[in-house]
Amino acid sequence: PGRWGSSNMAAPVQARKTVEFFYDVLSPYTWLAFEVMCRYQQKWNIDLKLRPFFLAGIMKGADNRPPAMVPAKGQYMTKDVLMLTDMYKVPFNWPSNPTEVMFVKGSVNAGRFLTTVDMNCDQYLEELTRQLFLRIYYRDEDITEPASLLSAAMKAGIPEDLAKQLLSTIKDQTVKDRLRETTQTALDYGAFGSPTIVAHVDGKPKMFFGSDRFELMAHMLGEKWHGPLPELAKAKI
Amino acid sequence: MADADKKVIELFYDTISPYSWIAFEVLCRYRSRWNIDLRLRPFSLAAVVTETGNSPPGRVPAKLKWMGRDLMRQAHFYKIPFRGRKDPNNDMANKDNIKPMFLLTAVSMDCPQHLERLTRELWLRFWSREEDITQPASLEAAATAAGIPADQTAALLAKLQDETVKARLTETTQEALRHGAFGAPTIVAHVGGKPHMYWGSDRFLLIADVLGEEWQGPLTELAHL
Repeated sequence: PGRWGSSNMAAPVQARKTVEFFYDVLSPYTWLAFEVMCRYQQKWNIDLKLRPFFLAGIMKGADNRPPAMVPAKGQYMTKDVLMLTDMYKVPFNWPSNPTEVMFVKGSVNAGRFLTTVDMNCDQYLEELTRQLFLRIYYRDEDITEPASLLSAAMKAGIPEDLAKQLLSTIKDQTVKDRLRETTQTALDYGAFGSPTIVAHVDGKPKMFFGSDRFELMAHMLGEKWHGPLPELAKAKI
Repeated sequence: MADADKKVIELFYDTISPYSWIAFEVLCRYRSRWNIDLRLRPFSLAAVVTETGNSPPGRVPAKLKWMGRDLMRQAHFYKIPFRGRKDPNNDMANKDNIKPMFLLTAVSMDCPQHLERLTRELWLRFWSREEDITQPASLEAAATAAGIPADQTAALLAKLQDETVKARLTETTQEALRHGAFGAPTIVAHVGGKPHMYWGSDRFLLIADVLGEEWQGPLTELAHL
């Protein structure tokens, strides 16, 4: 028998299931879900595709409102995020002015920067995402100014020249269009917030919202949920 | 295990809340695995929503659509026979939905040993068989199905409009609000003399953690249904 003899006819490895993670770094619960999904890339037979989108566009497209507009709910979520990030070992701190961060400053430049990195050198997308989360939700730093985005990029390991070049593209029509398209794709999947996770199972897209459906997602992917796996925490502070 | 060691967990719930059914079944199953004393606290979700300036989640079409799918998936995962309703928004907004809560309150006051089964029967009617839960005949049928003797059922139905029953439902609802409730289910775990409030049926990892227990999954082998 030649190279392709019977000894090579092993049982085929099951194809990885694609899991699309649509996200905006403006959302604290999104950071939780992001870190969990990154940890589970190693544990589950999945192909994780990060899809930066624009949360303000999602809220508008779905005619939704931010949850913290109900005071009692806002108070609960403040504590809930702290309890979850502590358990999941995500180094979260509430910014001194969350309203300003979330509703005034926003995330359009960050979203476009993530998008251009996704288009041009997606090997940095995971770590850039993490560095942006660390800026906004660990160190209470800006994520809107070019200097802020450059700093995050370099901390993510993007060479300075490349980072500056990428930064110069964030107002390009192609980048704006791509962010808009990704946002629309999420809306077409039924998104109304962040994170929106779409697991492709047997050719069918299964949409999940939030950071608290992983056990169910595992069940539907035919995988096992081992909890938040804090021992695999990647966010270095 | 001495009862005094058991940690009290209160479940504030309303029949019109499908996620409350999930939390209810999970906590009932976990009584045999966790060292807990589960206290069922029927309250008025409508009153909580009004008081906190909240709005029903079905206001956002994409969210309502997702919740329908989410509930069917969770029902399958937890082995709970939730089947939904054709027009949930409309049915949940019916002001007479307070009546089953008066009945549950009266049961909690007079014959609490029937509270668990009656709670389940009301959910089966409303969310599994798309039946009515507001008319006296419906409430009577639920009470009978829950094994409440005929004379007790008649007595309970006779006192649904009593001030004592209304006052008790209001008190329970106010208690939930004081814990910071804004929706259903609201779960309060009492640990180390402190109340720990959780909203929804998807915080059992945190609840297990605060109780010093382990989450063991949906425990479908302990399903009562």
